[in-house]
Amino acid sequence: MNDATGAADARAQATEADNAAQILDERYRPYSGARHGLAGAMRALDGSSVRFTLGLGRPARHKFLPWLAVVVALVPAIVFVGIATVLDIDLISENILPEYHQYYGFIELALFFFCGIVVPEILVADRRNGMLSLYLSTPLRLWSYLASKAAAVTVTLAVITVGPLLFLLVAYTVEGSGPDGLGDWLTVLVRILGSGIAIAATITAASLAISSLTDRRAFAVIGIILLLLGSQFVTGLLVEVAEMDPRIYAFNLSEMSEALKDRIFGVGPPELGEDDASPGLRISELSTLFVVAVNAAWLVAGSAVVWWRYRRIEAG
Amino acid sequence: MNDAAAAGTVLVSTAALTQRFGSTVALDALDIQMRPGVTGLVGANGAGKTTLLNALLGLRPPTSGSATVLGLDPRSQGAALRAKVGFAPERDVLPDEMRAVDFVRHLAQVRGLPRSEARTRASDSLWLVGLGEERTRTLGTMSTGQRQRVKLAQAVASDPELVLLDEPTSGLDPTQRTEMLTLIGEISNEHSVSVVLSSHLLEEVERVCDHIVALDAGRLVADGPIAELVGDGEGITLELVDIVEPAGTVEAVESSLRSAGIDVQRTGTVLRLGGAGRDELSDRARDAVADAGARIRRLEARQRTLADLFEASAT
Repeated sequence: MNDATGAADARAQATEADNAAQILDERYRPYSGARHGLAGAMRALDGSSVRFTLGLGRPARHKFLPWLAVVVALVPAIVFVGIATVLDIDLISENILPEYHQYYGFIELALFFFCGIVVPEILVADRRNGMLSLYLSTPLRLWSYLASKAAAVTVTLAVITVGPLLFLLVAYTVEGSGPDGLGDWLTVLVRILGSGIAIAATITAASLAISSLTDRRAFAVIGIILLLLGSQFVTGLLVEVAEMDPRIYAFNLSEMSEALKDRIFGVGPPELGEDDASPGLRISELSTLFVVAVNAAWLVAGSAVVWWRYRRIEAG
Repeated sequence: MNDAAAAGTVLVSTAALTQRFGSTVALDALDIQMRPGVTGLVGANGAGKTTLLNALLGLRPPTSGSATVLGLDPRSQGAALRAKVGFAPERDVLPDEMRAVDFVRHLAQVRGLPRSEARTRASDSLWLVGLGEERTRTLGTMSTGQRQRVKLAQAVASDPELVLLDEPTSGLDPTQRTEMLTLIGEISNEHSVSVVLSSHLLEEVERVCDHIVALDAGRLVADGPIAELVGDGEGITLELVDIVEPAGTVEAVESSLRSAGIDVQRTGTVLRLGGAGRDELSDRARDAVADAGARIRRLEARQRTLADLFEASAT
C-alpha cells in the first residue's frame, strides 16, 4: 500500500516537474508572435533614449553629469522640507520657505547644466556613430525618430522641472503646510505639471535645434550655453541699461520660460521700489498673450530648425 | 499565405527603377527580380548597390519607376515593409559603449518585437552568428569580424523575411570572409531567411549566392540564377610552360592550332581555344603540343565567371 502511494506521489511529482519544465535555450527560431509596429518602435527608442540621457546601462562617467543635475535640482527641496519638519511651523506662510513657483530659481542651474552638457549627446551621438541610418532602416521615419528623441529629452527634463516641486507638494502636504483642500491641492498640482512640462518642452526644442546644427558635441554645448546664459546677459543689457522695449526679452529663452511659469502660477509683478529694475519687473509689463506666444514661437522655431536640418541630412 | 507567396515567390521586383542625383544616374531604368535564397548584388564601388538597397527599403524615393518588396510598395508602405526586412549597412554603426546583446535587443524592439521576446531573440541571434559567449561584451572591445557578426545578428534578430546586407565582408581577412559567407549561407538555408548580399567581390558572390544581380555604373549587367550565368563555358584553356629549348614552342602550338581551324586567343603562354567541341579541342591541343615539343602546364575546360559578364558588358 505504502509502495503504491509512494509510486503515485513520485509520478505526480514527475508530472508536475514536466509541466513546470521550460526550454530556455531554444536557439534561433521563427517568430510568429505580435509585432508592435511604429508605436512599438517609438516606445523602444524613447525608452532607450531616456536611459541613455540618464547614463543608465552606460559606464559610470556617463552617469555622473545627469545625476548631478538631478541632485542639484532636488537637494534644496530636501533641505527645505527638512527645515520645515524640524522647525514645525507654517513656514510657507511666514515666507521662510519658497513657494512652489519660487523654487524655479533652484532648478534653473540644474536645467542649464543638463541642457548644456547632456542634451547635445542625444542627437549628436546617433549622427556620429551612424545609428541614425540604422534607425531609419526600421519602421521609424524621420519624424517619428525626432519625436521619440524630443519626448525622451522632455521627459528627462521634466524630472528636473517637475520632480522637486512634486516632492515639495507632497512633503508640505504631509507636514501640514500644503494647499488647503483638495481643490487647491489639485490646482497646485496642475500648475506644477503644466509649468514644468512647458518649460521642459520649450528648452528641449531650443537645445535640440542647436544640437542638430553640428556633429561636434563641444560646439553644441557652447551653443546651448550661449543661448541660455548669453541671451540673458545681452537682453538684460538692452532692456535694463539701454532702456529698450521689454519685448526684447522675447529673445531671452530662460526669462521667457520663467515668465510663462509665473503666469501659470498666477504670480504678479515683484513688489519692488520704483527705482528698482529687474527682468521680473520689466517682463511683468508684457501681456500673458505675448509671453505664451513667445514660448510657443521658441517651441515651433526650435522644432522647425531640427526638422529642416534632418531633412537636409536625409537628402544628403 | 504570406506576402512573399502572394507575390509568386518573387521577393523583390523593380520596373524601370531610376535614381538620379543631379546629372548623375545612379540607377538606370532597372528591371530586376529577386527570388528566395541568397541573391548577390554585385558591382564595383559606385555601381549603385547601396542606392538600390536604399530604394528597396523606401529610404529614398526613386526619380522614376517602381519597386515591390515582399509584395509591398517601399514608397507608400515603407514602415510595414521595414518591419519585415532586416538591414545591415556597410558603415560601422555600432555604439562602442553598448553591450552586444543590448544593441541587438534594442534594434529588435525598434523593429517591433515585444521586450521579452527581443531579449530572448537577441541572445539567440548572437549564438547563431557565433558570438554567444561574447554577447555581454561591449561593442568597442570587439574585433572587426565580431562587429560584422553583430551587425548580421541585429539584422536577423526580428525574424525578417528578407535581409539586406551591404558589404558584410568589408574589412574582414580571408578566413573571416569565408566564415561570414558560410554563416550567411546557413542562415538562408537552415532558417529560410532570404538574403540580398551586396558585394564588390565577384568571387564571394559566386561562392554563396543562388542568384545574382550585377550592376555597372547603375546599369543592369546580369540578372538570374547564378548556375545559368556562370560555370561551364565553351572551349578550353591551354597553358604552356615557357621553355627556352626548343625556342618558339608557344608560337608553334598557336600556329598549328590556327591552321587546323581552331579559334585561338593567346595571352602570353595561355591559349584560349574555341570553335569546336571540347573533345576535339583537347585532341588538337595535345597533338599540337606534341608536334612542337612543348610542355603543358594546364589544360582545362573554360569556366564562365562573373568577370566575363562584366567584360562582355564593357565591350
